[in-house]
Amino acid sequence: MLAIKGGKILTITQGTIERGTILIEDGKILDVGVDVQIPEGAEVIDATGKVVMPGLVEAQCHLGIVEESIGWAGADSDETTDPATPQMRVIDGIKANADEGGLRAALETGVTTIQVLPGSGNVIAGTAAVLKTAPKTVVDEMVVRNPSGMKITFGDMPRRVYGQTQKKTPSTRMGIAGILREWLVKAQNYMRKKELAKEDPSKMPDKDLKLEALEPVLRGEIPLLAHAHRADDIASVVRVAEEFGVKVVWHHATEGHRVAEWVARKGIPAVHGPAMRRGTWEMREMSFKTAKVLHDAGVKIAITTDATSQAIRLLPLVAALYVKNGLPRDVALRAMTINPAEILGVADRVGSIERGKDADLRILSGDPLDIKSKVEMVLIDGKILYSA
Amino acid sequence: MLAIKGGRILTVTKGIIEEGVILVEGGRIVEVGRDVRIPEGAEVIDASGKVVMPGLVEAHCHIGIVEESVGWAGSDGNEATDPVTPHLRAIDAIKANADERGLKAALETGITSVQILPGSANVIGGTGVVVKTAPKTTVDEMVLRNPSGLKVAFGENPRRVYGQGLKRMPATRMGVAALLREWLVKAQNYMRKKELAKEDPSKMPDKDLKLETLQLVLEGKIPLRAHAHRADDIATAVRIAEKFGISLSWEHATEGHRIGGWLASKGVPAIWGPSLMGRPKWEMRELNFETPKVLHEAGVKFAIMTDAVGSGIRFLPLCAAMAVKHGLPWEAALKAVTITPAEILGVADRVGSIERGKDADLRILSGDPFDPMTEVEMVIVDGEVLVGR
Repeated sequence: MLAIKGGKILTITQGTIERGTILIEDGKILDVGVDVQIPEGAEVIDATGKVVMPGLVEAQCHLGIVEESIGWAGADSDETTDPATPQMRVIDGIKANADEGGLRAALETGVTTIQVLPGSGNVIAGTAAVLKTAPKTVVDEMVVRNPSGMKITFGDMPRRVYGQTQKKTPSTRMGIAGILREWLVKAQNYMRKKELAKEDPSKMPDKDLKLEALEPVLRGEIPLLAHAHRADDIASVVRVAEEFGVKVVWHHATEGHRVAEWVARKGIPAVHGPAMRRGTWEMREMSFKTAKVLHDAGVKIAITTDATSQAIRLLPLVAALYVKNGLPRDVALRAMTINPAEILGVADRVGSIERGKDADLRILSGDPLDIKSKVEMVLIDGKILYSA
Repeated sequence: MLAIKGGRILTVTKGIIEEGVILVEGGRIVEVGRDVRIPEGAEVIDASGKVVMPGLVEAHCHIGIVEESVGWAGSDGNEATDPVTPHLRAIDAIKANADERGLKAALETGITSVQILPGSANVIGGTGVVVKTAPKTTVDEMVLRNPSGLKVAFGENPRRVYGQGLKRMPATRMGVAALLREWLVKAQNYMRKKELAKEDPSKMPDKDLKLETLQLVLEGKIPLRAHAHRADDIATAVRIAEKFGISLSWEHATEGHRIGGWLASKGVPAIWGPSLMGRPKWEMRELNFETPKVLHEAGVKFAIMTDAVGSGIRFLPLCAAMAVKHGLPWEAALKAVTITPAEILGVADRVGSIERGKDADLRILSGDPFDPMTEVEMVIVDGEVLVGR
């Protein structure tokens, strides 16, 4: 039994407890409150004067699958030899147990849950996975949810990688949408044949891993994780998604300010960022102000660093910049905890300090949105993994 | 006459004046102090409750020469078709009078002087220029110092562009150093011939613009602006510079923490950055926010830069704020974005501090310059209010 007492607890979903106690057992939060009794024999961490909050949740990153600084030898996120690779699985490319710098930086920043996605070179890139950042012997022991979604990309990147560089489809946005529809139809055909084969096993089609990977999308079990910067690109994603009755999460949401109400009406959550970057034509409207516009329209938002595009250790700093640009404080805090947890489908386990959830905690010297605050301790599944 | 009164004035070189007055006339600072009398008829700006500081000096960026988001059409920073191009000049590629986002963002952030350099694809990239960010009809009207230095690059970039990409020299660090030495020797030969031609004009060599530029370096008129991330790369740069008796500044200084004392003993200034990013290349793997503190404690003269292309330049104060968070004293951070870059760029007679006689380039803030929540309320360049009127 572990007790963390005396800290200012930001539960995120149940308000702030000025000087409270959190009891932890078997990796879970057993109790949280003001007058929680600490059983004898419990190890006590004194968090007086500190702020205790849930470990942060990063909904969009390439940590572990792209080893920083190494160049091609460490870059495994983009199987850009074929624009449609639904059978690729990010879990097969993550360098766990390798002293990989990105995962380490996430842990030390108190980012305890991450969704790792394949890159944005392919129209259909493969499945993403949600992991904890606590180091383990093998990545399979880090998994919270796998697969967590099917990564797709609309816009300029597949056009550049294939059309421009390799003179292959897709070279236009029409080509991109065409490829996505084609593969969803192939998967529908496959599912239909499998259904018919129930009556006549001899009609069973050969197992096809590409189509197997798309089945959970068509059944609504995992969403399309749609990378799109521009408003017209998300409109195309949604057009195709509605034709097939599949779910969508909007990643980047760069031009969210142009279509905020429409996004809210469609019930699509948005993962916004990386807000410091405007490098390409389709990213030219990237702005911290967009998060407020989306929030005001009723869109569920998460904020992302898209690490390694922007450094993961800057997640709290970008949250502060969103607040500077109009996003309410409490929304900014939700946008890096409970909101991404809900968007990733793991809110039963992480994203807030509540009885029964995983004991993933971040202990700070001060307010999480103050640049001067330092991370003093990080716990995952009730274990202290980082201590400043 | 313009008077800015009531603000907390960070002069940078002469301490902090609470509720002070700055008098501006003819684009210059005429007076600054606590009890300065404001002449009748002067336009008065009330800066009560605000912080007034010099306009920031960005020592190393690529705004204007590379247009944000536009792609190849706006990208003029690297003449990556020949590794040695000393005759190229950044001023010939700056998009002034074009609503270019980088220059606009710089001005709005209160960054009033910037050194714009060619990129680092080439071993010798060309000359840089220091400009004010007040918009003018042509870039020539924005110049503060031209040329301000000769850009050279060590490390991975020239090797990747030429060795990897084009299968030509340089592919190795040996090749990079050899090319620089070779061209400095060519310039020395040229200068010697010109000297001999004084006695016999018929022996005058044809004018060679590449060698003319290198001559400026050999004569000590402009320094090398040496791009290098690693300690071993700056050691190479200094080895060459000492041999030829030329001066240099260390651009990026990513591994400055490995070599601070040595750098200080060599009297080489460092310009540290970019910092708000990951570590995309092997040579940047030690990038961290503690380096400015180490440089400061070793006695190295250093500035903080963004290396920005486009509107990313607006994060210059944030870079300094992160350095302060990681141990750099507040006063050192203040100097590192004002007077120190002004000195390293050779324009400290004009900008970098609030002193009588210097240009009236001022930045009025809602609070502490290194608090991310602080807003820029007014920016004045050469005595003209350009933002916040």
